Amino acid sequence: MTSESTIFADATQAKGETIIECIDVDKFFGDFQALKDINLKVGRQEVIVVIGPSGSGKSTLIRCINRLEKHDRGTIIVDGIELSDDVRNIQEIRRETGMVFQQFNLFPHLTVIDNVTLAPRQVRRLPKKQADELAMEMLERVKIPEQAHKFPGQLSGGQQQRVAIARSLAMRPKVMLFDEPTSALDPEMIKEVLDVMVELATGGMTMIVVTHEMGFARAVADRVLFMADGEVVEVGTPLHFFENPQEDRTKLFLSQIL
Amino acid sequence: MTATAERAPAPPKLSPLGWLRKRLFQNVGSAVLSVTLIVILLYVVYRSLVFVVINGQWEAISRNLTLFMVGTFPRDQVWRLAAQALMLGLAFGIGVGTASGTARDKAKQAGLAYEPPLLAGTLKRFWSLIAFVLVLLTLAGTAGPWLVVGGAVLVGYIGWHSWRLPPSMRTLGWLLTALLFLAGFQVVSGTEGLAWLPVALVLAAASRLLVPVERLETPLRQLVSLGAPLVAAGVVYGIYQVIAAPGVGWDDWSGMILTLWWSAIVIVLAFPTGLMLALARRSTLPALRYLATTYIELIRGVPLITLLFMGQFMLGFMLPAGTVFSSITRSIAAGTLFTAAYVAEIVRGGLQSLPPGQMEAGQALGMGIPAIMRRIVLPQALRAVIPAMVGQFISLFKDSSLLFIIGATEFLGVRDLVHAQADFRVSAHAETLVFVAVGYWAIAFSMSRESQRLERRLGVGET
Repeated sequence: MTSESTIFADATQAKGETIIECIDVDKFFGDFQALKDINLKVGRQEVIVVIGPSGSGKSTLIRCINRLEKHDRGTIIVDGIELSDDVRNIQEIRRETGMVFQQFNLFPHLTVIDNVTLAPRQVRRLPKKQADELAMEMLERVKIPEQAHKFPGQLSGGQQQRVAIARSLAMRPKVMLFDEPTSALDPEMIKEVLDVMVELATGGMTMIVVTHEMGFARAVADRVLFMADGEVVEVGTPLHFFENPQEDRTKLFLSQIL
Repeated sequence: MTATAERAPAPPKLSPLGWLRKRLFQNVGSAVLSVTLIVILLYVVYRSLVFVVINGQWEAISRNLTLFMVGTFPRDQVWRLAAQALMLGLAFGIGVGTASGTARDKAKQAGLAYEPPLLAGTLKRFWSLIAFVLVLLTLAGTAGPWLVVGGAVLVGYIGWHSWRLPPSMRTLGWLLTALLFLAGFQVVSGTEGLAWLPVALVLAAASRLLVPVERLETPLRQLVSLGAPLVAAGVVYGIYQVIAAPGVGWDDWSGMILTLWWSAIVIVLAFPTGLMLALARRSTLPALRYLATTYIELIRGVPLITLLFMGQFMLGFMLPAGTVFSSITRSIAAGTLFTAAYVAEIVRGGLQSLPPGQMEAGQALGMGIPAIMRRIVLPQALRAVIPAMVGQFISLFKDSSLLFIIGATEFLGVRDLVHAQADFRVSAHAETLVFVAVGYWAIAFSMSRESQRLERRLGVGET
């Protein structure tokens, strides 16, 4: 293949300045090893798509980056801060790291705008007026300002997921983690969410996206990570995965999803 | 998923005769069943009417109404209770008005039409209570009770109009509600001793909301946010030193007054205690967890009546020598310890019903555990357990009748006083029982209805 794909064939090489670094990360659930010796560097403004069969550790990997799961060995550094047991460290990192979940996890007892303003008001101590303005700006970005005063239960799945993205963006994170953001959506709603994500990516947001949407990967991903059995099996440009996957496990997986 | 669910077409309306034929006499079996049930029903209604209208000796009630309501409360101090009724009426009116106002603000913000609650709706909401009060007033036959109840309703109605106030006044509305409520309590209990404490707590909490801390510079902000509550508490303490006046302490309360206040105080104390216990039981600190679990399991294995006895005879051993608490105070402590354990288990159920994603979403946003609990977890968990919680409170309200074992004369206990009178020593036992039962029912039923309503209202937006 071209020389470009060989440059990116290494998970430990990032384009430009590094913002996330995982060194020899292991994670166990009881006796089961969910992550094996993960090494990964993510550069600023880089978009990484993580693919792999279920149970391969994709979600666990990004959940370790914002400490929703605690890694057992190795080092994770986010924006110069190493993840430790220090609660203040963890909260610092979580403020810089937005996360979007497969099940949206919106707060059903709050209106859309209150969902978005909650963290800025509680964590950043923004006064209500400023927080509301910020929230409306974010809701414009995901194109649903008109739903601001509805409750999540009154919205479609696609709209809910866009609110979830706006909620994360309102903390002005440096990195966005997406944990299968379109897997719980009806097919006709996937596009509206992906469109928002593409816009974010082209706007220069650093993103790690666990997804099987290869169209999204082809459009905006800088690198694709293929994981299986808790390991990073293959790394490359989207083009590399479409045209010239190397490993047998990669080929098998791609033949199943494409 | 959306709110625009299609409505099923209404079934065609039947004529009364058609309705009878279709619902009651569709075939021989249902006709026999209908006739049998109607006969039984008519007989029960007939016997009840005969009892209520003809045979019942209701003088046992009408002559002892004051006794049932206030028991052995000193008669020359009854004006305090009238003042209390007025203050509570106003507090209730302003509280409801402020709540309606908040609902209106929200609806306005969301661009929805808001209809203020109608009088008819309010009457329907509390019909069991209203009916009971009307029966009382009719039996009383003197002007005093009418004036007090009428006055309380009138000031309540005036207070209710606070919903028209602008949104910026809501905090003030709640503050006024709380203060009037405490004032209503203290106009009876007096302003000596620790009376300043609850008022100071309310004002200290309010000072955080009313002082615009956010607009101040950082060093000043911390000073004010710490200082304002202290100053408020201090001022209250000072005022109470000046206005200290004796009242009628709760040891001298009895009848319906005691039943209501005892239950209300225990509920108010047991709720936060139970909440803390539930959180402690789910804590990651093993010591806290085991302590809470042990406490809850111990208390839940003991009948309330045993705890009340223990409160009387054993609480003294566990406290430093010389501390003397009255028997009502000790029964409040026992009731609180008992109810808190049940509240804790109910709340724990609510906490467990919440999907872990809610907590994770809060964590992922960088929120601390206290903020996650206050803003995300508890509002949802508590809403989910409103029915169970109110059920617990209703049973506590009825269990207040156990107070007779510690010598207090609560609502049911008043019966003993009535039947100690020469006129009613052997007669009218059934009448007084029915009256007391209806009294308990009227209040418990209202509580249950209000809980359903609260549940519906807090369920806004959830489909």
